Order: sequence, then structure tokens, then C-alpha cells
Amino acid sequence: MLSVLNGLRNVDLLGCVMRIIVACFCGTLIGLERSAKNRPAGFRTHILVCLGAAMAAMTGLYIYLVMELPTDIARISAQVISGLGFIGAGTIIITKKRTIKGLTTAAGLWTTGIIGLAIGSGYYELGIIGTAMVLLTETYLAKLGRLIQQSPEYIIEVHYNEKDTLDEVMRHCKDNRMSIVNLQIESLENDPDANYVSVIKVRGNMKSSELLRRLGGIAGIVTVETQ
Amino acid sequence: MIVEYLKEFNLVSVIVRLFLALVCGAAIGYGRSQKERSAGFRTYTLICLGAAMSVIITLYHNEMLQTQWAEIVARVGEKFDASRLAAQTITGIGFLGAGIIIKGAHQQVKGLTTATGLFTTVSLGLGAGIGFYECVIPALIVIIFVLNVMSPLEAEFKRRLRNITLNVEFDNVEDINQISEVITDQKAMIYDIDVERGESKGEKLCSAIFILQLSRQNSSHSAMLSSIAELSCVHSVHELIS
Repeated sequence: MLSVLNGLRNVDLLGCVMRIIVACFCGTLIGLERSAKNRPAGFRTHILVCLGAAMAAMTGLYIYLVMELPTDIARISAQVISGLGFIGAGTIIITKKRTIKGLTTAAGLWTTGIIGLAIGSGYYELGIIGTAMVLLTETYLAKLGRLIQQSPEYIIEVHYNEKDTLDEVMRHCKDNRMSIVNLQIESLENDPDANYVSVIKVRGNMKSSELLRRLGGIAGIVTVETQ
Repeated sequence: MIVEYLKEFNLVSVIVRLFLALVCGAAIGYGRSQKERSAGFRTYTLICLGAAMSVIITLYHNEMLQTQWAEIVARVGEKFDASRLAAQTITGIGFLGAGIIIKGAHQQVKGLTTATGLFTTVSLGLGAGIGFYECVIPALIVIIFVLNVMSPLEAEFKRRLRNITLNVEFDNVEDINQISEVITDQKAMIYDIDVERGESKGEKLCSAIFILQLSRQNSSHSAMLSSIAELSCVHSVHELIS
């Protein structure tokens, strides 16, 4: 810890104002980055969470240090973590296609809250370093992740008429070293063009556009597209 | 010597621990990011960071109570619990995990591996934050091994298994005979049929879950699916993968 900041760590007016400003600052930085990507929890949400957590931590300190009542200074802070987990669970939405949305937002809010706890306790260094690492994660790590990701999965949807067509599609996938992760077949009653639709999840190194191009030539295919 | 320095509470060790947490989260996230796309990677890293930070805050509290606030401690009494903050991260992530788990259709539970992965990430983060390198580094190696080596092996193993679970939607309960015939024609064995006479989307559709074991000669999942789908009474077929 930097001892030069020790003067700001007390729970007096100067310390409180300093904490609130730094919490706002950190919350803003994280929030701006998120709202730049048009995430549901933007700017204001992150500031509110960071400030709220900082205030909770400050209050915990105040009760023990200033009012000198016997308590664990970390108790209120600890429950903030619990509570943000609860809020995060409510943030997560399950879409119609049964995919999870909002998980990264929930995790980000949780971590922002913990940064707020650090700042509220007077631990400015951790707050700033933590904010820097969160921003680092959101920007560079995401890029790194996409770079080293191998064998992505994607979904293709095939409309066709005969059973044999699907066998051809499967054979083409295998020939191009794409493995089939999941397969769904539905017969279409109201469609004048095709009798069946098949939703296939494939995994492999071939890009979807290339695979579609190769599959498009198969006889009996009405349409083939990615989802 | 370096390890001793890193076990103390100073700015350098804090940064090292946060980076260690970052690496732990990223390692687990990478193993999971195949299924979740890019969300998985960042989520795990953020959670791991948060857990490590919560423990580091505890260390800070301890330091302050022993130095700057020592006289207040002498007067009021020691009430500090060093594991309180860390303990609540586990509860908090439990809640978050509950939000991830979805009850899919047909008795499928999805999101369980994600939720438990988050839980493990928190544990790693707590260890990293407190400087418990003896536990975290071996654990990280084992987890990377399990996720990246064993996981694809498991997936491949399952794919080659002859047991499959299919959900089939069709017109009437009587059609089950036809479907069963198609299945046995392919030399597969039916373990169980679970019929639901339901009203989905306003139409009175029947659906059933078939648990089959495919024959050795004919173990292609997709072949079975397309044969069943060929029947005129069948509306849809899909394989349930748990």
C-alpha cells in the first residue's frame, strides 16, 4: 500500500468525499466502456453499483471506527457481495432460443461492486488497479480470446425435400472435417417449397460462408443458411 | 525468497495476485468459451478478479486495524473476522449461478456446467487473492487439463456412445407403434418411451421421449433421426443432449 495516501483513509469528511469521488470515477470508467458497446447495464448502473458498495463499506467502517460500536467492519461489505449476486441472477435473461444473455453484465456488476467495496474501505490502490484490470479484461482479453479460439461452433439451417439430401449434407460436412454436434429435423406442413427443415450445429475450422457455399450445390436443397 | 515476498501484503504482491487471478479466470474461460462464445471468457475472468479483490480487501482491513486504527481496536475490542468477505463471495456466486441454470424443455437442465465453473473460478480467485499459491497453481494445472484435454475426450466418447435420447413430436399415440417399428428395423434397442400428451402451441400434439441404444453396425445418430423424420405422422425429431 502507498503510505502517502494514509491521510485519506480515515472516515472523516475528507476521506468520505475522496472515496465518493474515486468510486464515481471508477464506476464511470467501467460504465462508459460497457455503454460504448450498448450493453443493457450502462453508465448509470455501474456508477450506482460502485457508489452503493462504497457507501456500504464506508458505513461499516464508520460504525466501528467513529461510533466505536463492536462490529466486524467487513460485515456490511460481505453482504453487498451476496446481494449483488442475487441481483445478478435476476439480470440474466433466457431468450426464446434458450441461450443465456446478460451473464457478462452480471459478472461485471458484481466485480464493480467489489471495486466499490475496496474504495469505500479506503483502499484506493486496489480500486484503481482493479478498475484497470477490468478494463483490460473487457478490451484486450476479449480480442485475445477470439484470436486463440479454435474450432468454433455455429448453426446451419437447411430446407430440403428428400431424405437423401440430408445424408448428402452430412457427408459433405464430414468430408470437410466439420463434426456434427447436434441435429434437429422437423417436417414442414405449410411450406410450399420444402418438406423438411433441419437445424444442424457443426463444429470445425471451416468458415460458415465457405461451408454454405459448398453445401449450396447439393441437389434437393431449397435453402441453406446460418442462424 | 521471492515467494516470501509475494506472500506478504505489499503493492507488488497485490498486482501479482490480481494477474494470477486474471490468468486463472482466463484459463477456465478459454475452456468454456467454445460453447458460450466470447461471453464465457470475460465472465470467468471478471468473477475471478472480483473474488481475489474481496480477499485482498480483507488483508487491507487487517493491515489497517493493526496500524492506523490500532487504538480504536484496543478500546472497542477485536471483532474482525478475516474470512467473512471471502465467505460471502461464495454465497453471491451461488445466487448468480442459480440465475444461469435454465430448466429447458423435456427435463433438460442447461447451464449447470457454467454455474459450477463460476463457483470453481471463485474458489481459485479466493486462493489467488490470499496468496495461497501452493493450492492455486496445482489446481489451475489440473483444471486446465480437465477442461481442455478431458472435456473434448468426453464429448467424443459420448458421440460414439450408442445410447441416444430423442424427442419426437407426432399426431396420435397410436403412431408410437410405427415409430418403434422404424427404430427396431434399424436394429436399435428401445430402453424407454416416455409419452407426453400435451397441448403445445394450441394444437393437440403428442410427444414422446425415446431412449435408445443403437446397434453396433448402425450407430449413426443422424441416420436414426432422418429415418424417424421420414414418417408422415412425425412432426419433428431432435436429439436431447444433456
